[in-house]
Amino acid sequence: MLLSALVLTAACSNSDPERPEEKFADTGRGVFILCEGNYQSGNSTLSYYDPVTRKVENGVFLRANDRRLGDTGQSIQIYDGVAYVAMENSGIIWALDTATFRVRGQLTTGQTEHMINPRYIHFLNKENAYVSDLYSPYITIFNPKTMKYVGSISTHQEEAYGYNSTEEMIGWGDRVFTNCWSYSNKILVIDTRRDEVCDSIVLSSWQPKSMALDARGKLWVITDGGYSTGDDSFSDNIPHLYRIDATTLEVELDQELDTDNANVQLATNPDGTMLYLINNDVYRMPVDANRVPVRPFIEAERNSNGQRHFLYGIGVNPHNGEIYVADAVDYRQSGVVYRYTADGTLLDKFRVGITPNSFAFK
Amino acid sequence: MKRLILLLLVLCGGAQLSIVHCQLSGDLDEVQVLAHRRLVDTGVQKTVLDTAVLHQNVALSMSDILTQHSTLFIKSYGRATESTAEFRGTSPSHTQVLWNGMKINSPMLGTVDFSIIPAYFVDQANLLHGASSLTLTGGGLGGAVDMHTMPLFGQGYALQYIQGIGSFGTYDQFLRFTYGSDRWSSSTRLVYSTSDNDFKYTNYDKKVDIFDEMGNIVRSYHPTERNRSGYFDDVHVMQDVYYNAPHNNRLGAMLWYSYSLRGLPFLSVDYKDNTDFSNEHKRNSIHSVLSWDKTFNRWNMGVRGGYMWQDIRYDYSTSREHVSTDITHSKSVSKQTYMQADADWMPRDNWLLTADLSLYYNHVRSEDKSPFHIGDNYNLGRMEYNLSLSAKWRPLKALSLSAILREECYKRDFVPVIPALFVEYNILGQKAKAGRQKSKGKDNPSSSTLHPSPFTPHSSPFMLVLKASVARNYRYPSMDDLYFKPGGNPNLRPEKGFTYDGGLEFSVTKKRYTLKGNLSAFDSHISDWILWTPNAKGYWQPSNLKKVHNYGTEMMAAAEVRMKHQWRLSLSGNYAYTPSINKSEHVDGNDASYGKQLVYVPRHSANLSGGLSWRTWTLRYQWTHYSERFTTTSNEVSYITGRLRPYYMNDVSLEKTFQWRHFHASVKAVVNNLFDSEYVTVLSRPMAGRNFEVFLEIKPQWGKRPTTNPFL
Repeated sequence: MLLSALVLTAACSNSDPERPEEKFADTGRGVFILCEGNYQSGNSTLSYYDPVTRKVENGVFLRANDRRLGDTGQSIQIYDGVAYVAMENSGIIWALDTATFRVRGQLTTGQTEHMINPRYIHFLNKENAYVSDLYSPYITIFNPKTMKYVGSISTHQEEAYGYNSTEEMIGWGDRVFTNCWSYSNKILVIDTRRDEVCDSIVLSSWQPKSMALDARGKLWVITDGGYSTGDDSFSDNIPHLYRIDATTLEVELDQELDTDNANVQLATNPDGTMLYLINNDVYRMPVDANRVPVRPFIEAERNSNGQRHFLYGIGVNPHNGEIYVADAVDYRQSGVVYRYTADGTLLDKFRVGITPNSFAFK
Repeated sequence: MKRLILLLLVLCGGAQLSIVHCQLSGDLDEVQVLAHRRLVDTGVQKTVLDTAVLHQNVALSMSDILTQHSTLFIKSYGRATESTAEFRGTSPSHTQVLWNGMKINSPMLGTVDFSIIPAYFVDQANLLHGASSLTLTGGGLGGAVDMHTMPLFGQGYALQYIQGIGSFGTYDQFLRFTYGSDRWSSSTRLVYSTSDNDFKYTNYDKKVDIFDEMGNIVRSYHPTERNRSGYFDDVHVMQDVYYNAPHNNRLGAMLWYSYSLRGLPFLSVDYKDNTDFSNEHKRNSIHSVLSWDKTFNRWNMGVRGGYMWQDIRYDYSTSREHVSTDITHSKSVSKQTYMQADADWMPRDNWLLTADLSLYYNHVRSEDKSPFHIGDNYNLGRMEYNLSLSAKWRPLKALSLSAILREECYKRDFVPVIPALFVEYNILGQKAKAGRQKSKGKDNPSSSTLHPSPFTPHSSPFMLVLKASVARNYRYPSMDDLYFKPGGNPNLRPEKGFTYDGGLEFSVTKKRYTLKGNLSAFDSHISDWILWTPNAKGYWQPSNLKKVHNYGTEMMAAAEVRMKHQWRLSLSGNYAYTPSINKSEHVDGNDASYGKQLVYVPRHSANLSGGLSWRTWTLRYQWTHYSERFTTTSNEVSYITGRLRPYYMNDVSLEKTFQWRHFHASVKAVVNNLFDSEYVTVLSRPMAGRNFEVFLEIKPQWGKRPTTNPFL
């Protein structure tokens, strides 16, 4: 028996085989889908979808670079022909060639002074970009061309329950707005000329989760309403939708949404005249409307028990207005992406990696 | 409540009968005890790990022993990291764990971390598979691990010290002092293990790029990195004392304190600088049990009380310049008070009736910095009542039957009655006839005569026994399942299990060799399986989501050959085939997990142990295997990270003992991961390559009595 075991052992290996780097050369206008993976598993992946051929390539980062993307991919953006991926729990930002998917550079936590868990990137110009952070009370500034650290901006946030995070970022003139999602109710305003926080907006609801800017210079913010877990809870669990004038910082609209435990996200159509929001289903409203419609624009699929699919991410193609919606299924298997026309007609449906959450369009 | 009262009345009735019989009976008749033992084990599927297995190597924890010598699957990612045990493809919370009779599953989580239990602190462990766990406790939908310390009456004084020095700055120290007279037994044990555990590995999850002057990558390679933040410091102290009082009374006291400080290793895909971050797990715990056992002619009784205290902290923080942040800061203190009374009565030689009542009061104070709640996460107590009645009957010489009824109550919430039926048929081999043979069980105060080896000596050299059982079982939700904020779900129902078992056990004993083994098949359906899943807001919530069908086979075989010229060869092996199939309703229309193997559960697991000894030399070889494990519920293999490749591990050791008049000593060299395999057992958690440890053992010999202590 022992001899057999030894023979077996000699014949088999515990480790993965060598992975040759695959060559990609995709010059089409495809879509990157970042799949978050499972926290502490290091199984975040990147998928690439070609809307013309309807072909999806999963795990392209690993296949092109023979290395893992990392743990908990949070966001992906394309700027000046390069895709930037913020890997939150790995503490790294990747710069990728959008045609070959090859690594062009990286910025790690250790190369900066204050970055801990990078969340989102906002590009000011070719030489300056901001990085928000889940744990650090600083916005990190780096050069996207060289992937070198430039500096950082203190958000001067007092710890709220031990957190002082920054999340999505949106530029408006010399201002960048960033929502403080983690246990906060603030929107910070950064003066990009001086790289300083110059103002803030306090909301009536907790945890601003997502933002979008419309064509009229109105900042839309959706909160998840914090958590309600019983007698002693944090906030009331009720999401709110706000419209804020980006110039005067005045809150013009505050609508309470339904109270389901929904993931909430915002996006606009390419010309900024239509707002999309995920709140269980996908809703669409003109940016000059004052209420979210009662009926959804795209209803989430339902299973045999009538339970909705969990919609986890939304992206709108800036070239043609097509809408991409992500279904995380059970969060432990490959997710599904639905592709719709701007009118809400289903065009395609395809499998990607685990927990798809973010889209970037070439 | 009515059911509890009814069962209490039955128990009281049984106790009265026992007392009457006690007054009529004389001293212990060991003949009865031997027959009694066999009845107790009617139909039970049990693996016994004795001292020879448990005390192989002071560096091993119970998780290592279970990996190498059982069919349980241990999920672990290295030494001194959390290690949980799963029977037959169930979850870690479906494994009930007892220490000297007291359940030690965390009341918060329902699980046990076996990496914190030094194997040298356990003298015997019984693994009760499936329905057999109901002979001890409810809630073990997979099974139960029953660990004991043992008294050493009549052994005199003994001292043992072991010093281990190993790779990666690893030091293991073990000290034991024992004393055993006819009346008293005392054992003091101390283990201190410390390690930097910073082994090197090639990180295939990262690549370093070399750029030219134009910024183009000219070369890339996988870097060699160290296991960062994997250090540990573990201290354990245990004292047990037993006293054989007159009139067949035995008193016992066991106390075990442990402290552990462990760094949590960085993922292989983590690019942070470990000097900027601290990620630590600290644990202090006390387990203690007091016992009183009394044995009469036809009945035994025992009373036990115990206390368990666990203080567990998890801190993840950074002290980067200008950024000093507690990322995670959680603390929990669990306290458990335990009382148990049991009695077993043999009204006739072919009948055994038992009753067992245990009470647990658990209190958990859980704190963290999360804003999901104001103040404590929760600070709650919970009373648990367990009552068990059983009847075992041997209507024919070769046929034994057993029935168990259990009732459990948590706070005021009654779990439905748990029934179990066992049958055993002796095809071949005679039971031991009356004789003045001393019961081994008598030397185990906690298990008393209830949990002997399945390989009870028989008068015939051949033994073949058929066994079968059927049982319903329930597991009540843990306190985190019910109360954790956010997510805890007070409306959870108990998990339900229904299990069929069948198998055979055999042994052949000849002058020169012994062969024994068993083979069993099982089929189990678990519904209302509690599963924590992330919700849309990003936190996790438990619900009675899952249905799982577990089935398969388990096999064990062991052989020992005694040859000429003091050569001795021993071989043992275990194999389990455990499909564990998700039968839950689809989460949504895209769910592809139905009919798939559960995440991280291997279908096949096997191990082989071989020992060859000649005079004072012993060579041991250990081989362990798990088949591939899936990391997604849909068992996708298209992802590189979708499955872990089959696991093969080889360890070898060579030991030489020296015996002088006043001094015994031994030197042992151990090579772990002999073939220097590069592997992971959990995603992004690299394991150590080939590594070494040398142990020096010293045992002074003094006192009037020769040290024939089997445990040293």
